[in-house]
Amino acid sequence: MNRRLVQYARFIVLVLCLAVAGSVRDALEHQRANMGMAATGVDLKNAPRALVFATVALGGFRGLIANFLWIRMSNLQDQDKYFEMVQLADWITKLQPRLKQVWIHQAWNMAYNISVKFTEPQDRWRWVSRGIELLRDEGLRYNPDQALVYRELAWFFQHKIGQELDDAHMYYKYQWAVTMTRAIGTNRNGYLELIQPATDDARERARFLRQVLKMDPALMKAADEKYGPLDWRLPEASAIYWAMIGLEKSRPADQDSLRRVIYQSTLQSFQHGALLKIDNQKKRVVLGPNPDMVARMVAIYDKMLADEPVKKDMINRAKRNTIRQCVFHLYMNNRMAEARYWFNYLKENWPDDYQVNQSGGDLDTFALRQITEGVGETDRVKTTAILMAYTRTAFLSLIEDEDDRATVLLDMCKRIWQNHQSRVPKDPGSIARLGLEPLSLIQSNVLNQLLAPESGLTPEAKAVLLSKLKLNTTK
Amino acid sequence: MRRLWAIVTLTWKAAFRYRLFWVMLGLLLLAVVGLPVLLKDDGTARGFAQIVITYTLSSVTALLGMATLWLACGTLARDIEECQIQMIAVKPIPLWQVWLGKWIGLLTLNAVLLAIAGACIAGLIQWRAKHLPPEEQETLRREVLVARGSLKEPPIDFRPIVEREFQRALKEKDIPPADRPFVRQQIEERVKAYYQLVPPGIVRQWIIPAGHVRNLNENEPLHVRVKFYVVRTNESGSYIVAWRFGRPTGPRRVPDIIKSMAAESVVEFTIPAAAIEEDGRLIINCTHAEDNVLLFPLEDGLEVLYREGGFGLNFARGLGVILCWLGLMAAIGLAASSFLSFPVAAFFSLTMLILVFSSGSMAASVEEGTIMGVDHETNAPSNPVIDAVMLPVFKGMLAVVNLARSFSPVESLSTGRSIPWETLGLAFVQVVLLLGGVFAAVGMIVLSRRELATAQGTS
Repeated sequence: MNRRLVQYARFIVLVLCLAVAGSVRDALEHQRANMGMAATGVDLKNAPRALVFATVALGGFRGLIANFLWIRMSNLQDQDKYFEMVQLADWITKLQPRLKQVWIHQAWNMAYNISVKFTEPQDRWRWVSRGIELLRDEGLRYNPDQALVYRELAWFFQHKIGQELDDAHMYYKYQWAVTMTRAIGTNRNGYLELIQPATDDARERARFLRQVLKMDPALMKAADEKYGPLDWRLPEASAIYWAMIGLEKSRPADQDSLRRVIYQSTLQSFQHGALLKIDNQKKRVVLGPNPDMVARMVAIYDKMLADEPVKKDMINRAKRNTIRQCVFHLYMNNRMAEARYWFNYLKENWPDDYQVNQSGGDLDTFALRQITEGVGETDRVKTTAILMAYTRTAFLSLIEDEDDRATVLLDMCKRIWQNHQSRVPKDPGSIARLGLEPLSLIQSNVLNQLLAPESGLTPEAKAVLLSKLKLNTTK
Repeated sequence: MRRLWAIVTLTWKAAFRYRLFWVMLGLLLLAVVGLPVLLKDDGTARGFAQIVITYTLSSVTALLGMATLWLACGTLARDIEECQIQMIAVKPIPLWQVWLGKWIGLLTLNAVLLAIAGACIAGLIQWRAKHLPPEEQETLRREVLVARGSLKEPPIDFRPIVEREFQRALKEKDIPPADRPFVRQQIEERVKAYYQLVPPGIVRQWIIPAGHVRNLNENEPLHVRVKFYVVRTNESGSYIVAWRFGRPTGPRRVPDIIKSMAAESVVEFTIPAAAIEEDGRLIINCTHAEDNVLLFPLEDGLEVLYREGGFGLNFARGLGVILCWLGLMAAIGLAASSFLSFPVAAFFSLTMLILVFSSGSMAASVEEGTIMGVDHETNAPSNPVIDAVMLPVFKGMLAVVNLARSFSPVESLSTGRSIPWETLGLAFVQVVLLLGGVFAAVGMIVLSRRELATAQGTS
């Protein structure tokens, strides 16, 4: 009798345990789904077989296996063994596909930590592109609504490739320009013909753009209209593209970082957003400022002020600094009307601005002060802009028969170039990162710009310029 | 010998009868051919070859290892449980020969399967290599599909220097006896730092005996592998380091190299074998002008690799080391099944395997000097009693386990490093003769003394 009672008691305890477990199960599943930790039935419907297998067959053991793989990865990295990293990152992310931090960490590790362990630019680029591919091709597939994943991907383009902190940044920019050229051709807006591709070549390039680079030409057009004109062969355009898609797909509460990427990338696009040349021999690109971005940038700042009133002071300061730069670049590119317009805007909105006051409210003095400061720094982008602007003005002076002025300007170019180069540390890393292109190359790029059909110069003016430079068109 | 051979043949026949041979062969070929299709490499031919060698060889070892343990436990335990062994026991063959015959049978079975799998892996890699561009083929041939020997600076004996400095310190100051070990340790650290740190403008010289490679063609490449740390990291993580080869004041046999190098990572560059002096020494000098201090660790700060032989024979030696491991597993399985039933023997063998895999945790505990951790407030071990008992046990177990684990053929093959004949010989002695011999002796003695008729049948 007692034995039977014990059996009944055991059975009741068993049923109670099952009931309790069953009652909390729904709540737990709900929490997991809310926190983005579970691959739900809906997620698995169209998921690849490898992920379905990992999720269903391994069940709770996924965590254990993932831990083992993390430890192995960490150990191998400590021992400078990188050949398994791509595979291990693939497995780890497949085991925890909905944990966005896992994707971000793995991609960041490859693009930032592993890449700098190599000396050769091509080795570094391999790891940077692996990081991008992991997020773009896989991470977004499983986390299409996660702002952080979009932000990280956009950040790789804006910061790792777009900025100049890495010794190999020029090689990255070159590789990205070559990749994008394969898709959109040599025009900055070559994506337009890929929206409705009419030829076999265009269809093939559209396939490459959509399937390999995962970019939609229609969305590129939308981004260009909203934030451009962008040169899509440069990384900043891609940064803006991915941040823009993130804004459309993620929760409004998570979107601040995406907006910031767009603002910063737009500013970068203004500073060096014109691709002047892809140098296949030296495997680098020649960049120049893109003054067409000014109005767009100011509009973006205004929107930012409306979106984030709590950061009004900070955004206002950034806007003022940007407009200062814009005035300078417009002035140097001989776009005097626009320079004057924005200079007046600066005076009206920041009447107590130190730089404006120091220049006595005079545009020429203001620009001169900017030049003096610019040539005293080792800012490659700013010095290149100054050199291009001086050269441009010198060439235009030649057309206007002001040969003496042109000579003075070209001589000043030479001194600015030498002054900058003398300030750059002499090691190859710093030279690659901070050094200028040869002056002759910078000047020939300006010449090419002026001779291009869209420059607005008359054929006669071009002929005068070529004649004064002792060149002829055949040459 | 004929009797022994008969048992070997019976083991082989059983392997075919139960289709074990074909199933294993199928699984191995699936792993060898299938894995390279599924694996994601780093995008280089070298990375692909490395990951294929690592994963295919590891999976072949794992598959064969598990199968060997399972089969070794099954073949003897089932024979005993199903009373088939009694048919043999009445024949004029001692039971220790039955044990040995089964072991040789398993070992030869593994040898054949391993040879087939190994030939497929080598063939697959060579086939893939042939379809690569010539420069990638050259990189593979130079860095992975090769047996590279290693040259290093001989270890420096710091003891006499430390002792001399310590005695000088004793003369200069009155150091209380309680502080002396600490002072000695500080002096040792200082002496080591002197050898490891390279301030700007100071030359660090490595003198490496390379007499045995003096006859290399003078254009034959030597791969210098360098790893250094820096006191302050800069923005780019790279530093300019200048290298000179030979006596600093002597004639230049090889041009100097000035190179931007990433810190905290292995950087490899090539110099011709002409850099080796006529007296058989390779002298490497390093300096820099960075506003920084570089630290070259004594153990792996600088290593020179040279071509010692081809990939094929090196690969075969690597497989030989793996076969030694399989021989040990067969001995463990057979020894366990000599006195345990099949399920218990299998459990025992797997436990032994887990023990071997846990040796990393054991080594970490021994290195930290505690198993249960340290009380962060008092900095004393949390449970000194457990530590006092278990640490010596761990040390003993590690000493035994390391006899087998100290070989890493897969890693050597994937990084193009040579596995010398001495290493294979040492593996045979340590793994097969010593460790395997202990299990074999236990198994043979127990089986010979066991009353076979008392075994309980399972059917």
